[in-house]
Amino acid sequence: MTARGDRILGLGLFVLAVAYGWGAQQWPEPFGGAETVGPETFPTLLSVVLALSSVYLIVKPDPDAHWPVGRTAAEILLAIAILVVYAFLLEPLGFVISTTLAVGALCWRMGAKPVRSLLIGLIAAVVVFFLFNYGLELSLPGGLLEFE
Amino acid sequence: METLQFLMDGFAVALTPTNLMFALFGAFIGTLIGALPGLGPANGVAILIPLAFTLGLPPETAMILLTSVYAGAMYGGRISSILLNIPGDEPAMMTCLDGYPMAQKGKAAEALAMSAIASFAGSLIGTIGLILLAPALAKFALTFGPAEYFALFMLAFATLGGITGKNPMKTVIAAVIGLMISTVGIDIATGTQRYTFGILKLYEGIDFILAIVGLFAISELLFFIEERAGAGRKMIKVGKLMLRPKEIIAAVPTMFRGGVLGFIAGVLPGAGASLGSFISYTLEKQYLGKKGHFGEGDPRGVAAPEAGNNGASSGALVPMLTLGVPGSGTTAVLLAMLISLNVTPGPLMFTQNADIVWGVIAALLIGNVILLLLNIPMVGFFVKLLSVPPMYLLPMVTMVAFVGIYSISHSTFDLYFMIAFGVAGYILRKLEIPMVPIILGMLLGPEMEKNLGHALVISDGDWSILWASPLALGLWIVAGLGLILPYIVGPLLRKRMRAAIKEEPTSD
Repeated sequence: MTARGDRILGLGLFVLAVAYGWGAQQWPEPFGGAETVGPETFPTLLSVVLALSSVYLIVKPDPDAHWPVGRTAAEILLAIAILVVYAFLLEPLGFVISTTLAVGALCWRMGAKPVRSLLIGLIAAVVVFFLFNYGLELSLPGGLLEFE
Repeated sequence: METLQFLMDGFAVALTPTNLMFALFGAFIGTLIGALPGLGPANGVAILIPLAFTLGLPPETAMILLTSVYAGAMYGGRISSILLNIPGDEPAMMTCLDGYPMAQKGKAAEALAMSAIASFAGSLIGTIGLILLAPALAKFALTFGPAEYFALFMLAFATLGGITGKNPMKTVIAAVIGLMISTVGIDIATGTQRYTFGILKLYEGIDFILAIVGLFAISELLFFIEERAGAGRKMIKVGKLMLRPKEIIAAVPTMFRGGVLGFIAGVLPGAGASLGSFISYTLEKQYLGKKGHFGEGDPRGVAAPEAGNNGASSGALVPMLTLGVPGSGTTAVLLAMLISLNVTPGPLMFTQNADIVWGVIAALLIGNVILLLLNIPMVGFFVKLLSVPPMYLLPMVTMVAFVGIYSISHSTFDLYFMIAFGVAGYILRKLEIPMVPIILGMLLGPEMEKNLGHALVISDGDWSILWASPLALGLWIVAGLGLILPYIVGPLLRKRMRAAIKEEPTSD
């Protein structure tokens, strides 16, 4: 078993710890002069702890988990992309259209039939939209379907 | 007697029609969440937080809703343990041992009913324990100074991984990541901008609700995609319920012992519900010895871990309500709700927000009665939920998460943030970095820093004040043990838990 995952993580965290700790030393002295406890005390403490524990991780890593490769990795990336696009289109397209597309696409990629997925998405979107806008009086964006 | 008076006031809060309705709704949704595949109690409570928040519910109503969901999810989790031999979460593992054999013998309905009754008994005992113990502990906690609080927070992090936790160093890393996230924003004490990079959105800090929903709900979706577990399971039939009162009465002592043991395990830092159900089951097995046929479908083998697990979940509320230090993932999420409602958790809550605390405690009692009444007749409906395919369910959950987060601030920026947390959560979970310490770090960070600051101001910069008092020193020692013990006891305990499961004839 290789243990690359933990080593890379350890290295990344070490860099983060150093950058974070260094950042804490750069703040201007607070108004009223330096005191025993400043805004940098706690972050400095944290960066030391993180640096030490990340070194431990590099020295004594756990065996690697099974990372997805090939198609599975592509599916995960696609799902993340769907989520980002969903967030991006939520306001311009409106809740109902964007949710139908996003939920439909996710259902489809998780193994449902395409037409059924879209239908499920549409039903879910319409139900939630009406529930929120009229039942709970929280406004979700109408987008293209806005009539008023 | 003072406690009784408070409890009566609590009932007055919990029994108002609105609150009663929300308790019923929460218990129902909770059971639904517990029964549905791929949604644990922490996930369930997490996705409901933004909704409870945007509905603008008063604090006590919001807390009653979420505690009912919490209790309901514990109830729902056992359904898949018994019928499918698949524990919904770790504490439900022990329920499989006798529940599944019972189901195979065609006594699924009896096993479900027995577990519902045992859950009720366990919760009842746990809640009574909570009522007796919490006010005393809160009073004691009032004597804590900033140094003691700082040590207490260390203790909370150190024991969060639990005795059964795998790599304590990863708990430390997770906690520090959470604490680091909590330092982003304008420093409360001095007004210094920290790690904001000039981005206006970061000035007020990173909202932990975004992080919780992202880390729990979105990363779960990615996990399901990876495992391609979208298809769901086949339907299970549950026969007619034929539980005789005699059988229930026979299991009452078992439930009582299980509930008490579970409650103790729940209160203790680092033990948690999994240990509660494990101890209840193994001790009951030893206690009954030859008189029981544990592992072959003994109803008492269902009753013991269920009572233990529910006793523990009430017990876990004790440190959360009295000290503001949650002992488990789900109680951490409940704490997040309290903080976002502007209620400062901790011993002062018992005096300043007595209506919330006692309302929640009363709601727990009422919720358990509701759950028992709900579960016995409706078990057939909840069983059907087991076969809902995750390929439809998880996209919907994701949508609910989006809706919830969006309706808090009407900002798309928050949604990107949530997705980023989801992706990070997926990667970290893959690397076996636990999620709960990250959340706890974000929640406790500001308090921890404040107490550190106060302590150092009192001592004029002398760091030794942090372990100067005997109480603080004691807390530090327990915290140290919490980190070291998993190295020694953990492998042993895990081996025994595995052995206990292996020796059972679970395959058919």
